[in-house]
Amino acid sequence: MLKLQDVTVVYPDGTKAVDGISLTVREGERVALVGGNGAGKTSLLLAAVGVLGLSGGSIEAAGITLGKKTLGAVREAVGMVFQNPDDQLFMPYIYDDVAFGCRNGGMSGAEVERRVDETLGRLGIAGLRSRSSLKLSGGEKRMAAIATVLAMDPSVILFDEPTAFLDHRAKRTLVTALRSLGQTQVIATHDLVFADEVCNRAVVLKDGRVAADGSLILLRDKALMADCGLEAIN
Amino acid sequence: MKQTIHNLYALEQLSGGKTAIHRLHPIAKLLATAVFVVLVISFDRYATLRLAVYVFYPTLMMAVSETPYHMLMKRFLLTLPFCLFAGVSNLLLDTNTAYVGGGVAVSFGTVSLVSILLKAYLCVMAVLILVATTPFSGLTAALRRLSIPQMFITVFEMTYRYLAVLAGEAAAMRTAYALRGAGRQAVEIRDMGSFAGQLLIRSIDRAERVYHAMVCRGYAPGAQVRATDKITLKDIGFLIAVCVLCVVFRIIGPVELFLKIFGGILSC
Repeated sequence: MLKLQDVTVVYPDGTKAVDGISLTVREGERVALVGGNGAGKTSLLLAAVGVLGLSGGSIEAAGITLGKKTLGAVREAVGMVFQNPDDQLFMPYIYDDVAFGCRNGGMSGAEVERRVDETLGRLGIAGLRSRSSLKLSGGEKRMAAIATVLAMDPSVILFDEPTAFLDHRAKRTLVTALRSLGQTQVIATHDLVFADEVCNRAVVLKDGRVAADGSLILLRDKALMADCGLEAIN
Repeated sequence: MKQTIHNLYALEQLSGGKTAIHRLHPIAKLLATAVFVVLVISFDRYATLRLAVYVFYPTLMMAVSETPYHMLMKRFLLTLPFCLFAGVSNLLLDTNTAYVGGGVAVSFGTVSLVSILLKAYLCVMAVLILVATTPFSGLTAALRRLSIPQMFITVFEMTYRYLAVLAGEAAAMRTAYALRGAGRQAVEIRDMGSFAGQLLIRSIDRAERVYHAMVCRGYAPGAQVRATDKITLKDIGFLIAVCVLCVVFRIIGPVELFLKIFGGILSC
């Protein structure tokens, strides 16, 4: 479970990216965090894993309140897949990238190997094990980036614009993969069709605030979507 | 550019092997390499014959770990100009005759040049074999467990990881420049300043995002990796064997001993 209470994020230049958001994501839920550019989606996700400091409010993940001392524990419970997979794939080979988090978690060599193979197999990308991320397609990179987080077995996964850089086929593969995951998911996106296929709840952000929170029917609300800089789905 | 980055990390890909050398604990390999390098460096500049015996270590390690010789040799060749530069002055200044064999006089300068090349070959090969048989994470974990200063390990880790980031950003900028450069492939001197400045800013920005991705997966500079792999008797045996052989060869000089014995027999 992920619980955000009155979360506020202010950048050093004074920009208020997130303005008092309260949100509870229940176990197993797949929540679409939708909104136009600058709505505060990425800032909210980065705050949830402690990359951005809170200017106000509190965050609780898997029963742990985010704080200086609990940062490690929260990051073990909450994984984040970044918008650009190139930022997430920084090791020479995919195996090392997927193993990175497991090794930091203190797993033995054999356990790391088992986890990596299991995760790559589960996502259908076992063939990428010994490949360099420099030589992968956008879709392959995205799946590899998901594997890096999935291998750590977090209870909540945050996705930042997961469909960015993906073609139709890669998007289909991603839809299937995300649907098959048992974890609680929060997916920040402005791809409403994708959100409609994968998620079971929608939270609409505008100017760092929650404009609406409810079922996926919100994504079909033309007036609301237009107000948030998005195009409603039919 | 992408190929260059790929080549940079090609050696580390070998570290995923399953041979007996790959399975050894990183600490054992790291210490064995350190002992080997220190002993090789400790020889004086005319001890070419005594140094030659130390070829046993890279040769055996390469054979057992199935590391392709050409990959290591290619990297060693990069260091060759520096070694030659360091040794060539000896060739010119130290002209006294050291040996005469088959009517040819060999100067002390030549002997010391060969010695420098041999030392460089042995040390570089030993380090390359260590990298080719040990995952990078294993190496840094071993350094931490050996209480090497954290600052050194962090700089080592970051340089290694951000090398690709920097090269990637430079490649993207160079492509963008070339596409609008009216046929110019290289960056012109008048654009060099802003190019370098932009590269730095972009790299810092990108490095920050990479760093965020790292900390989100449990990385904390200064934190001890909770390594659970134990050092076994096999690892200790390997370390002792390497140390004993290196020290024995340092003390007795088997080639000189061999030449003395057989030289004596032949003269009788």
